[in-house]
Amino acid sequence: MDRSFARSRLGALALAFVAAIWVSPFAWLVLSAVDPETNGQLRIPHAVGIGNFVLALSGQAGQQFLNSLYLAVGTATLTVLVASMAAYPLSRMRLPGQTTLLWGLVLLRMLPEAGTIVPTFFAAKQLHGLNMPGMIVAMTVLGMPFALLLLKNFFDTVPIELEEAAYLEGASIWQILRLVVVPLSRSGVAVVWFFTFTSAWNAFLLPFIFARTDTSFPMSVGLFTAFGEYGGISYGFLTAYSLIYSLPAVAVYFLLRRNLNTGFAGVGVKG
Amino acid sequence: MNGQISPWLAAARGPMLVAMLPAAACVVATLYLAGWAVMFSFTNLELTGLRSINWNWVGLDNYVRLFTREGFLNALWITTLFTLFSAIIGQSVFGFGLAIALRGARLGLRNVIEIAVMLGWLVPDIVAAFMWSNTVGTTGLINDLIVVPFGLKPINFINDYALPVVTIANIWKGTAWSYLLFSAALDSVSREVIEATRVDGASPAQTIRFVVLPMVRTHLVTNLLLVTIWTFGYFALIFALTGGGPGAQTEVLSILMVHQSFEVGKLGYGSAISIAMMLIVGVLAYGYLRQLKEPR
Repeated sequence: MDRSFARSRLGALALAFVAAIWVSPFAWLVLSAVDPETNGQLRIPHAVGIGNFVLALSGQAGQQFLNSLYLAVGTATLTVLVASMAAYPLSRMRLPGQTTLLWGLVLLRMLPEAGTIVPTFFAAKQLHGLNMPGMIVAMTVLGMPFALLLLKNFFDTVPIELEEAAYLEGASIWQILRLVVVPLSRSGVAVVWFFTFTSAWNAFLLPFIFARTDTSFPMSVGLFTAFGEYGGISYGFLTAYSLIYSLPAVAVYFLLRRNLNTGFAGVGVKG
Repeated sequence: MNGQISPWLAAARGPMLVAMLPAAACVVATLYLAGWAVMFSFTNLELTGLRSINWNWVGLDNYVRLFTREGFLNALWITTLFTLFSAIIGQSVFGFGLAIALRGARLGLRNVIEIAVMLGWLVPDIVAAFMWSNTVGTTGLINDLIVVPFGLKPINFINDYALPVVTIANIWKGTAWSYLLFSAALDSVSREVIEATRVDGASPAQTIRFVVLPMVRTHLVTNLLLVTIWTFGYFALIFALTGGGPGAQTEVLSILMVHQSFEVGKLGYGSAISIAMMLIVGVLAYGYLRQLKEPR
């Protein structure tokens, strides 16, 4: 049925048209970023240069780039560590009330971000955690249910027989984990790391509430405030800043693309 | 395992239980925070000033306010429209259509389109908002390429069509997720089955309606569940694109909640809005999950 559509010339043309529409909003972003004399209008650059990118990586903007990097790498790494330590036992053992627990996690995962932001802010304020470590911990805590579910589903697909064989051969627990479980889990863990990295890199609401000074902003908040402050004048800076801010999430996706396609099969909610 | 605990698991049980503790603490903390939100919603706690320390219990006042003041009901309506048109109709239908259309496409074409759609999903919310505010601006792509060549005056879309603009921007941003999920689901439908229906004389539309859709039903419901819930609480894109305006035309519940909590400073009232959001999301999720559990 569907074979004929995508293989027909008309079908291919229609699909290419869809792709063109999809990327068209990027045209202005790229054209303005490489044009040092841009005035914010959509036009072919009069000159091409990297001046905007240099501006967008120096001084306060550069600091905000580093802030985003700390936040995203910190959150993703902490989340993956804590979540896999629990997801692996959850997948292997039968705990009393396990099904209830998993459905509870599904429900927790569905809480809207805005639903818990007030108490999260309040708790962080009282613990003097309105700073980078506070943000990392808060985002790890709030992202935990999702990471647990994804990793548990993933570990379910890793056969237990290999571990049992290794155990019968006399391997210690740590040897089994290090030599059998970790190598087999690399792709699933990479997928979860990627998800957490991207969502922390893109996160806006929590840093918007948590970070109070220009130098502690990650790029999301930096771009938002910069747009409000001098959106009318420095389009070159803002577009270059946007491209730099978009790059890591896009790059991580392409690095992990092959893993992702297999990892997506495990996204389904299973009880 | 057939009910028997393997010796390996018996040996590893202790360390495994200990390893679960940090994650358990995170889950407990989330529950604790949710509990706090419930508690706040019955108080007149404020962000600054006297009531940030000396707050009082006010009973159901905040919840009564949800229905007696205009903000909440308007935001609920806007959020419903936004979720219905951008996620349930836009992203899901478009993602499914794309997944069907790209089945059996040449690898090159498939890659190009996947990447194009994926870019929308990958760019951060604030960048997407910045791009869209320009694309629909008076000197932006849509005016330059479509409106002005037809001899019309440039249209200020964000002022005149704010809700459609954020809806379309969100379809653009989120379709990739539904596409990828459906794409993976369709891969699990075997080619032989589809071939067989074709041989039996079913039209493409009939094949999709009576064979493919029932086979990917679980994925369909899972996807609807996830995109509905995400879109219902979505904040950043709309906030950065319109700030909820003009007026309150795009003030969805999350924006109203942040506005009331952190700009007006009424944390108690803001918490009541979040609790209402969580209850609505809970009801929606329950509805979808029942669909998932029902065997067909």
